[in-house]
Amino acid sequence: MKYSYITPRKKSVFTQEIQLLFSFFSITIIMLLLTYGFLLYKNHSFVKDKKSLFIEKSQLENSFLVMEKEISYIENQKMLSETIYTKNIVLKDSISNLFDLIPLRITLSKAQLLKNGLILYGITPNKDIYNFMLQAPLRSIFHKTYSSFYPAKNGWYRFVSTNYINEDEELSIDE
Amino acid sequence: MNSISRQHIYLMIASFLLLIFVLLFSFLVLIPEGKTYRINRIELKKISREFRDYSTFHSETQDTLQDLRSKNRRVITAFAKKFSPDRFERENKSYFSNLKVSSFAKPTVKKGFGVYEVNTTSEISSPKSFYNFLEAVNKSEYIIAINFPIDFTRDGESIKSSFTMNVYCDKEDINATASESKKK
Repeated sequence: MKYSYITPRKKSVFTQEIQLLFSFFSITIIMLLLTYGFLLYKNHSFVKDKKSLFIEKSQLENSFLVMEKEISYIENQKMLSETIYTKNIVLKDSISNLFDLIPLRITLSKAQLLKNGLILYGITPNKDIYNFMLQAPLRSIFHKTYSSFYPAKNGWYRFVSTNYINEDEELSIDE
Repeated sequence: MNSISRQHIYLMIASFLLLIFVLLFSFLVLIPEGKTYRINRIELKKISREFRDYSTFHSETQDTLQDLRSKNRRVITAFAKKFSPDRFERENKSYFSNLKVSSFAKPTVKKGFGVYEVNTTSEISSPKSFYNFLEAVNKSEYIIAINFPIDFTRDGESIKSSFTMNVYCDKEDINATASESKKK
């Protein structure tokens, strides 16, 4: 028995309005989840980047320490070499000045240059020439000067002149 | 009076549930994660800036080192060279009538460098040769400091001289020499 002229259509809870609403809901939820995913990914990548920066920085720090050590070593080398070169030149000048001090009439047979002194062995025609022409300049340079004479066969005098400067005023080569 | 249809009730319940979900998700998950994101971003920016500054400083130091190396190449090479008596004699024999390294002790460490103490005996025709030697020693392939005592003794027409010198080298060379001699 029929009560209607039309064929009854199936009724569902998911009407078109509900479907539309669910689409909006789904879009909202997907956007929320995507935002969450984006934040998770970015946080993860930030942590990774921070870690790699820390590693790179510690490598740089190590390399910096090595470089700093090398720089100070090279500077020490440079300083020491310059000191040595200067002292060699000073030594050259000192020896040159010493030989310039010796008057023509006095002949040296031996010279010993010590860290804090000078010992000269030689021969002089007489004591006066030695005293005026050699001992006087030596006295102006050294703090203590001792001389001893021995007569030579030809009437001249052999002499030994020992000269010292005070240790505390001396400039050591190693300083 | 129109009663609310069942469909409307479903709609309201669904909207309400979504609202609850959105609020809970936002406050419990999204906002804390967002805060962490912001903190991490600021920290990373700060660390990146520090790293950039440090890199610049590192590069400057590297340039300084390169500059020092190139300016002091001769000195660095001289320190790195192991002392060889034969080589020294060959290098400086032109200044003397006769030059001989009479003895040289095992190197010791002095102020962070290795030092060979070398005794030499030589013969010169005039003090001028010795001055030339002292000038040339500063251009030598070793770092040589001429030390006291220096003796000059007249021997006929020539002068016999003897002097001590300190030859400086890198400390590592001494350790290498020591380990080499131990192996032998």
